[in-house]
Amino acid sequence: MSIRKLAAAVLMLMLPVLALGACGTADKNEPKNAEEAVAMHKELMAQENAILAENTKLWEQVFAAADKGMTLQEDGKNYGDFLLKTIDTVKERFTEDELKLLKGEAEKIRDIENKLTMIEKKYPDAAQKSSDNDMSMPSDNGSTGNFPSFEGKDLDGNEIKSDELFSGNAVTVVNFWFTTCSPCVGELSELDALNKELSGKGGSLIGINSFTLDGDEAAISEAKAVLKKKGVSYRNVYFDSGSKAGKFVENVYAYPTTYVVDRSGSIVGEPIVGAVTGKTQMEKLKSLIDQCIAADTR
Amino acid sequence: MHWKKAAAQALLLAVGTAMLCSGALRGEAATVLSKAIRLCLECVGIG
Amino acid sequence: MGKKFSGVSQKLTRFRGYIQAAATLFSNLHLPNFLKGEIYRGAGKKVCVPGLNCYSCPAASGACPIGALQTVAGSAKYGFSYYITGTLILLGVLLGRFICGFLCPFGWFQELLHKIPTKKFSTKKLKYLTWIKYAVLLVAVFLLPALAVNDVGMGDPFFCKYICPQGVLEGAIPLSVVNSGIRSALGVLFAWKFSVLIAVIAVSVLFYRPFCKWLCPLGAFYALLNKVSLFRMKVDTGKCVACGKCAEACKMAVDVTKTPNHTECIRCGMCVRACPANAVSFRYGFGEGKDKSGVNAADNK
Repeated sequence: MSIRKLAAAVLMLMLPVLALGACGTADKNEPKNAEEAVAMHKELMAQENAILAENTKLWEQVFAAADKGMTLQEDGKNYGDFLLKTIDTVKERFTEDELKLLKGEAEKIRDIENKLTMIEKKYPDAAQKSSDNDMSMPSDNGSTGNFPSFEGKDLDGNEIKSDELFSGNAVTVVNFWFTTCSPCVGELSELDALNKELSGKGGSLIGINSFTLDGDEAAISEAKAVLKKKGVSYRNVYFDSGSKAGKFVENVYAYPTTYVVDRSGSIVGEPIVGAVTGKTQMEKLKSLIDQCIAADTR
Repeated sequence: MHWKKAAAQALLLAVGTAMLCSGALRGEAATVLSKAIRLCLECVGIG
Repeated sequence: MGKKFSGVSQKLTRFRGYIQAAATLFSNLHLPNFLKGEIYRGAGKKVCVPGLNCYSCPAASGACPIGALQTVAGSAKYGFSYYITGTLILLGVLLGRFICGFLCPFGWFQELLHKIPTKKFSTKKLKYLTWIKYAVLLVAVFLLPALAVNDVGMGDPFFCKYICPQGVLEGAIPLSVVNSGIRSALGVLFAWKFSVLIAVIAVSVLFYRPFCKWLCPLGAFYALLNKVSLFRMKVDTGKCVACGKCAEACKMAVDVTKTPNHTECIRCGMCVRACPANAVSFRYGFGEGKDKSGVNAADNK
């Protein structure tokens, strides 16, 4: 019996020691150098996105409620606080459990945001670098990351740069298609309508026809013919297939695929795979768009 | 009588080869390739 | 002209299962893609494989002939594919339904299912159902993609989209297991095709190769060329004792002594093995070759 008591006492003493040790290693509040800062920044952003991606249905409702007026935040206000405020205004829509969950997640985001601000204060380059390095390939776990920057032309030969495009819009929807894919062509009219809707909200939609990469003239004229027949007014872009963005397109093999990109050029959520003419796909797309717009004026 | 059959076989072989070549020359092989490496989801019944 | 190979015939039929396995592997070489959830994107896909094998299969080495036919037929540029039809004519004359019996992955799949021990049913009284596959070939593969076009002149690949169970088995299912984006795209269309696959699987356990007999458009095409195929069946009437064992052994409901190059004969060789007099064998060559008497011009359905 006394041995057991002794063992129990030892264990009890060990616990706080272990906890301290664990916290000490995991809770790296202070990155030791710029590299670590970038890594931490990336990880925290990924965590935040994961939180949002986990309960999309609930967040959808939160974002839909956040109208433009409320999103105007002063500098230095925390996104997590903003979420908590928004949740409060629409708390009648949720059950008690959902409310608890949302508030808990929003608080986590608030903590993440605090850490991010601290990193950015100490290592102002970290935020920039964490977006630059993160050239994410469209992978199946739908990891959000950055849409690769590109410099290309639209089908009429006008230059388009991705930095200008993304930074000039609260949200940019990028649709991948190719000329002989009938569901891709079938959704063009819907996409055109969506583009018109988006331009009223400060967003825009562009298409990337994978046949037109490298400026293949025959492919471009065929694509233009199809776009004209469908009455599409939004821009379609092409660029070099050897570029970063070209490789990204190469890795898109399921068509049609639609990405939602925010102002800083990061991909929001998972890409929508399949035509958006279906109700569920269109709903998913719209919720990502709303999420992006609501998060925009940070 | 079996010469007729042999002739028909030879003719069909020739026709098949001719169609294959003319189809490839007019760009059909490229079309087949371009569609086969891009998965149009609805086209294979995913949707 | 032409060779008889009775010793070879016996060997071929004995090793048919291995040949089918090898053919399935050759049609699907890029096995690591199953884990990656991607499809092969290389130049091998300019060429089609001889059997029914969907290009959406991650491992697929080439294009599917039926899929390719519809792709070209459904495009606004062409209405009909010379390239693929020419390939199929060549394959049909060179090998005919030997492809069905030895080289088609989906045929092999049905045979494996049929090995599951249950009561088996004969299709001898269901011969009229074999006409359906010609309708599938004509309508779903050739006509609809070319004629049922949208406002831009593009048609859907009807067989691939609504009917083909092979695409579900080796494309949709493996991809949606690994790729969450594709998984989230599964809807009503997939549900329908999945039920087609389940039905084919269930019926394959009870009947021998029902898809090949009643639905497959590729089999239908090769069937039309079976009569002029260089690979054929030969019955040595000198040796034949008319015992009927070959017709009994035939699971495609063909009597090789009466119609050796019947459109339903997939050259599986079960008759070769069943014949007690070694009278049935494979033949390869033009015309009928050096023949005593025997069954030649009386080839009728």
